[in-house]
Amino acid sequence: MLKRWILDFAYYLDTSKSYQRRKRFFYDILENDKNRYKKYIDTFMITLIFISVGVLIREVKFHVNDYLMFFSNYIISFIFFIEYILRLWVSSSVSKVIVNRAEHDTFLHQEVNLFKAFKEILRVKLQYMLTPKAIIDFLAILPFFHELRLLRIFILFRVFKLFRYAKSFQTLSSVLATKKFEFLTLGIFASVVIFVSSVLIYVMEGNNPASPINTFFEAIYWSIVTISTVGYGDITPVSHEGRFVAILVITAGIAVLAFTTSLFVSAFTEKLDEIREIKTIEDVSKLKKFYLICGYTEVAKEVARKLSCSKNNIIIIDENNENIEAAKKDGYTALNYDPGEIESYKKLNINMDTQVKSILCLREDDIKNVYAALTIRSLNKNVFILSLLMNDSNRKKLDFAGINSVVYPQELVGLITKELVGKPVAFEVIHELRSETADVKIDELGITQRIVDNFTTVGDLGNIDYRVVLLGVYKHKKDRFYFNPIDSTLLDVGDYLLVVGYHNFILEFEKYLHTKVKNG
Amino acid sequence: MAKSTALIFGYNKYAHEIISNVKDKYRAIKIFSLDETDLQNSAYEVELFDLSDEWSDIHQDVDVDNSMAFCVLEDTAQNIFLTISLRAHFKELTIIAIASNKESANKLKMAGANKVIPLVETTSDIITNMLEKPISNKILHAILYEESDLKIAQIKITPESTFKDEQLTSIDWTRYNGIIVLSVMHEDMKSEFIYSSKAKHHIIREGDILVVVGYEADIVEFENKIGSKRYVNWSHWSW
Repeated sequence: MLKRWILDFAYYLDTSKSYQRRKRFFYDILENDKNRYKKYIDTFMITLIFISVGVLIREVKFHVNDYLMFFSNYIISFIFFIEYILRLWVSSSVSKVIVNRAEHDTFLHQEVNLFKAFKEILRVKLQYMLTPKAIIDFLAILPFFHELRLLRIFILFRVFKLFRYAKSFQTLSSVLATKKFEFLTLGIFASVVIFVSSVLIYVMEGNNPASPINTFFEAIYWSIVTISTVGYGDITPVSHEGRFVAILVITAGIAVLAFTTSLFVSAFTEKLDEIREIKTIEDVSKLKKFYLICGYTEVAKEVARKLSCSKNNIIIIDENNENIEAAKKDGYTALNYDPGEIESYKKLNINMDTQVKSILCLREDDIKNVYAALTIRSLNKNVFILSLLMNDSNRKKLDFAGINSVVYPQELVGLITKELVGKPVAFEVIHELRSETADVKIDELGITQRIVDNFTTVGDLGNIDYRVVLLGVYKHKKDRFYFNPIDSTLLDVGDYLLVVGYHNFILEFEKYLHTKVKNG
Repeated sequence: MAKSTALIFGYNKYAHEIISNVKDKYRAIKIFSLDETDLQNSAYEVELFDLSDEWSDIHQDVDVDNSMAFCVLEDTAQNIFLTISLRAHFKELTIIAIASNKESANKLKMAGANKVIPLVETTSDIITNMLEKPISNKILHAILYEESDLKIAQIKITPESTFKDEQLTSIDWTRYNGIIVLSVMHEDMKSEFIYSSKAKHHIIREGDILVVVGYEADIVEFENKIGSKRYVNWSHWSW
């Protein structure tokens, strides 16, 4: 009966959307760096840590307010306890373990063995509890029992909790972890030198009444102080034999110090690119909207420059490291990833639907552009992809790969020459309107509810007063452009006004449209 | 007046696109290539040329002053050399050249090209406009390349024009519903936006060119009303 009840409950939790949503919520605010609320939780916890450490420091020599002591000992400990329990809860799924065991046993036509499931639960939870972070969390709760004087020192463990919140500590430990073997070797070498020199100095000077070394502990202390090149001088050998040992330890100390320094330097040098890459990815994942450019070619350079002039965020990926270095030099966020590999986009850790404005495949190679487009399409069906086309015979292939818009430079040259030959002045005028450096610009002004409330028809706009030419209205609902519309044309929310004029006048006109008070 | 012959130097994808777009506008198209293999494989009649040519043959066959040269060699250095060579021999020849980027565009201009199409800048302009101003880009593209009924035309003010000697801003353009006057080009070859402070006090003179946008029928009606016609003259180019 109890077994049935436990199984039903486990299945209920495993399938309950509200339970899973809540668990996900707590997981996100505690563990998911991308969650927008996590930083507030982290800041709150860091503040608590500093308060309790501050209380500990103050308490050494002064009396601390009783309320503050209560807050530090009980309230903060209780909050840390809740945090510990929540972390333990979200670290793994108990219901999932039971459900998996039940399904496994049912599949094999066996009686469901809950004992094994509980054993597994204990194993996974213990596995979490024995991680360094969980141990520190646990020790940070212990000051709750502050009446036991020994446990009060555990407040210091709260400082270690900072490791959990400070990313640079995690980076440092991950960098040093790469040199685990070297550090172990160094540790063993240093330990052997310390042990041997301690024994030697103790043997040489232990019985010498003039020597300050009287115990083996003092010998170890002297060895460590000497090998670390600190050399306080409070304990010094007095005999020739002792001084000879000191020479050996000092020589070994230089080697240990040099070795340690070189280890740190090489670990950081080797991991520097990786650290930068991780930082870049983190920055990218925080961007709200950006253009993703695949390939940093000549055209891509110009496109990136123009788009960033309009205050757009640009991310560049290219498999060629030289191009990436050039992009970085030009001030863009660039990653040495192959645009044709799914792994590249997975590593970027971005949401293509919400974060990416458009993906631009600007490599001067149709095969590579098609390959990149297919890779992107296999991950996302909706993101807008624009690509360069280098050979007109490949146009269909690019369409088939799911590219939304194609730009064929050769065709542009043909069209431009046609216009240049036929209507040079008109061409220049249109070209000027499109040019980023021209004073006169063409712009799109979106019609909002506020504008519709104040300006019902085209005739109400008064664009001529602002020296702005209204080329036409783009009706969004009908997907149709009405050139030079008559004054009685009604404006709807979502429409766009296509206007031509000096940039400043357009801005003034736009401001006027948005700020005009009804009937004012 | 319109040029009668197109001289295309270089036989490549650019040349093909240019030929297909401008073949109806010229009485003759002459293609020149540096590569001998193009002579056999071409769908058009291709002549061989050398960068050290003195161009005496061309002078005999073609009215160079009434021709337009398109320098589309893919090698930038060769294209610049070709341009400078043509300019050295033919002072009046109109030369349009393609350049890979701004740097070579400047060199081509120094070499004497009348108009340079910088490929990278042009392509990136189009891409940026497609992304940032999709509607205006679509409309301008349709107007410029006549993909819709909307057209852009340049109308020259003749002695018979009703606008002659009138102040630009005093004209009630609303009388000409259907068309929009975007700019006016004066005799100093500078195109001025219709609402610019310079254009404000401008008195329309004979020879000025109005750049108008509208549907074909409306443009024709406008032409009839003001007594001017559409006009293309290469001397009116604003380079």
